Amino acid sequence: MSCTLGEVKNRADLIIYWGGNPAECHPRHFTKYTIMQKGKYVPNGRKGRTMVLVDIRETPSAKAADLFLQVRPAKDFETLTILRALIKGRRVDAAAVAETGLTLEQLEDLAHRMKTCRFGVLFFGMGLSMTRGKHMNSAAALTLAAELNAFTKFVTMPMRGHGNVTGADVVMRYTTAYPFGVSLSRGYPRFNPGEFSTIDLLVRGDVDATLVLGADPGATMPQPAIDHLARTPTIVLDPKVTHSSRLARVHITTAATGITAPGTVYRMDEVPLPLRPPLSGPYPSDEDVLKRIVAAVKRKPAWEPAGV
Amino acid sequence: MLRITGGKVYDPANNINGEVRDVCISGGRVVAAVEDARTIDATGMVVFPGGVDVHTHVAGAALNFARGLIPEQHRQAAPIIHSRLRRAGLGGSTPTTFATGYLYAGMGWTTVNEAAVPILSAKHTHEELHDTPIVDKTCCVLMANNEILLDLMEAGEWERARHVMAWQVWAAKAYGVKAVNPGGVAAWKWGKDAKQLSDPIAGYSNITPGQIVAGLARLVDELKLPHPLHLHCNNLGAPGNVTTTLETMKTLEGNRAHLAHLQYHAYGGDDWSNISSASTTLADAFNACPNLTTDAGAVLFGNTVTVTADGPWQHLLYQLTGKKWANLDVENETGCGVVPYAYKPGSPANAVQWAVGLELLLLITDPWRVFLTTDHPNGAAFWRYPEVIRLLMDLDFRREQLKAIPDKVLKRIILPELTRQYTLSEIAVITSAGPARALGLSHKGHLGVGADADVAVYNESADVAHMFSYPRYVIKGGEVVIEEGELRNVVEGRGFVVKPAYDETVEGYLRPLFQQHYTMSFDNYPVAPERVHGLQVVEPAP
Repeated sequence: MSCTLGEVKNRADLIIYWGGNPAECHPRHFTKYTIMQKGKYVPNGRKGRTMVLVDIRETPSAKAADLFLQVRPAKDFETLTILRALIKGRRVDAAAVAETGLTLEQLEDLAHRMKTCRFGVLFFGMGLSMTRGKHMNSAAALTLAAELNAFTKFVTMPMRGHGNVTGADVVMRYTTAYPFGVSLSRGYPRFNPGEFSTIDLLVRGDVDATLVLGADPGATMPQPAIDHLARTPTIVLDPKVTHSSRLARVHITTAATGITAPGTVYRMDEVPLPLRPPLSGPYPSDEDVLKRIVAAVKRKPAWEPAGV
Repeated sequence: MLRITGGKVYDPANNINGEVRDVCISGGRVVAAVEDARTIDATGMVVFPGGVDVHTHVAGAALNFARGLIPEQHRQAAPIIHSRLRRAGLGGSTPTTFATGYLYAGMGWTTVNEAAVPILSAKHTHEELHDTPIVDKTCCVLMANNEILLDLMEAGEWERARHVMAWQVWAAKAYGVKAVNPGGVAAWKWGKDAKQLSDPIAGYSNITPGQIVAGLARLVDELKLPHPLHLHCNNLGAPGNVTTTLETMKTLEGNRAHLAHLQYHAYGGDDWSNISSASTTLADAFNACPNLTTDAGAVLFGNTVTVTADGPWQHLLYQLTGKKWANLDVENETGCGVVPYAYKPGSPANAVQWAVGLELLLLITDPWRVFLTTDHPNGAAFWRYPEVIRLLMDLDFRREQLKAIPDKVLKRIILPELTRQYTLSEIAVITSAGPARALGLSHKGHLGVGADADVAVYNESADVAHMFSYPRYVIKGGEVVIEEGELRNVVEGRGFVVKPAYDETVEGYLRPLFQQHYTMSFDNYPVAPERVHGLQVVEPAP
């Protein structure tokens, strides 16, 4: 139950950020898409919207919020589940409420705001999706938003980051049917997060070589994964020197997409945006390099028997 | 150069009905004769023009959203193993892009119409179509809930609305105009729906769904688009909705329209406990409206996923099934909902749906106006078309299948009384010649001189499901892609795009509105022509 960001801009009167710090991590989010914009049906802009921030600590984003709710660490799932119960008018256990770090009044107030808004949106960040409970937390947020549609219009969206991660996800889905964690080792796509996801493959030492494109795993992955990248041939395509390029066997400098190379980037709401380079540069684009690698691989004798 | 000889040719557009004759091909087209050509001996086989799918969902943000929602179905899907010719992929209810091309061609279909494209994400749709090989492609752009158009209709500015529509068709690099639940999806942006043609639309004060339907159909005709308004009527899926569909047909006032997946709009009864088939009433009315074409949207039993721009319906389906639900509203343009679904013969509602799809195909008398679809993936995956063909051609098989339908449902459908069996020639009409004509693709759907050399050659067999599942040869644009039932060559498809005439100054009107209501730059909005693979521009006569 999601939408493109323009729907939020034009309609949302209740905007909730949960487990994210957009003021520092997505600094244009407030101004371009959510709280500060005047929208078609929110003519008064900021005055016409209520912003709620739910997080485990008071981040700089709290300054922009009308209401800041501080939940205890690792109690997001419980808090979301209590909200689901309150929305349906069910009784909730006082001890369970106490564990969340919020009072029943605070939770009832939030549930009431959610049910009575005209158009509500819940943006959730990695503080929800990547902390204890992980996908169960995301599922609770999605279910909460889905169930709210019995009362009003409500949508939800993950606050994705890291360059064009949404684009990678989109292309993986239409070429392999799965968003990530795909193995093609049997000649067709198989999906098993935990088995075929990158960190797991590296930590187990299952891969002989790694091609890194548009990412810096050397900066973000757990140490055993980084150690394996350093131990085996790693090839990095990147316009700049990164943690990963330093430990790579080969670093091919490529053009920066959007600066010296054209391309397409997918916004977090899966809207594709064309990139037109304002400058020209000496380096080939990622696409050029990959095409040349593919062509070189094709020149090698085929491993398949003829006629397959 | 190629000569297909000895086969029984079914080319209904040229009144050829099972005649043994040669089909000659040169330069990607059908020609009168060829010298020194490679000869395919089609003795004992039937020769069809390549299949044309008038309504399918094979690419785009909505379908790709659905792919992400159903990993459990992908695990059951047929794997497409990587080879020197083929890219890896999966079949199943939402095949991956490369697999889509292989599977359509592997059945003898060579042209597909992607039926629902928002302008905002049309770039993405064209990326997917780019990666869908072999078949030629067209697509329809979603307009019946486009707020810039609705605002113009509300203000009565029809002249400007026509220019905006024309600009938008070209901006999306689309071929036709699609209307989904006119007004209802706009209302869904506030959590509401507009089921009846006279219902108010949340957020608007004057216009009604009926006015949007009539207005869009008229604008499409005024622009002389090759394909009429492609209409998904209001009140889809609901018991008793046949009255809305009949009213919609009247509202069109003689303008052309293609009524998509009519099966979902042909129910009697008043709730889920007594839902019944209303296909007789609907087919009778339809037979009397020469301005209309339709496709069946047939349902086959099994697992699938429903994907539609009809957001409010999908919310209802989520509440009915309690299964997964995804919703993706597109700013100012449309909505989209995804709900995985299993059609079961034991479910009275599903059994009625299964029967209604077949009844409409059997009751509409003119095969040139009703086409074979399953509204892929909504009723069933497109690669199950041969099963529908068997149900249409084989009365004994149909009676056998009816045994699985609960007794109480048999009284609410009329399928048991229908004895019509389709002929091969009629199958060629509903799978190729008819849809090509409805799309205005004059070079498709037939084998006359000058036609695109898209040909399917099937072994003639009493087992028609098998026959249509495994063509012996498929020729696309003059290239043999399937040979002896195997994929031997993968060619690129083309993209047909319509550029209707419009007043260029309309951009001056759109730009400030756009900057106000959208979240991207106006200059980034239209799809650049380079993004359409194998672009073929069709310009309607002004």
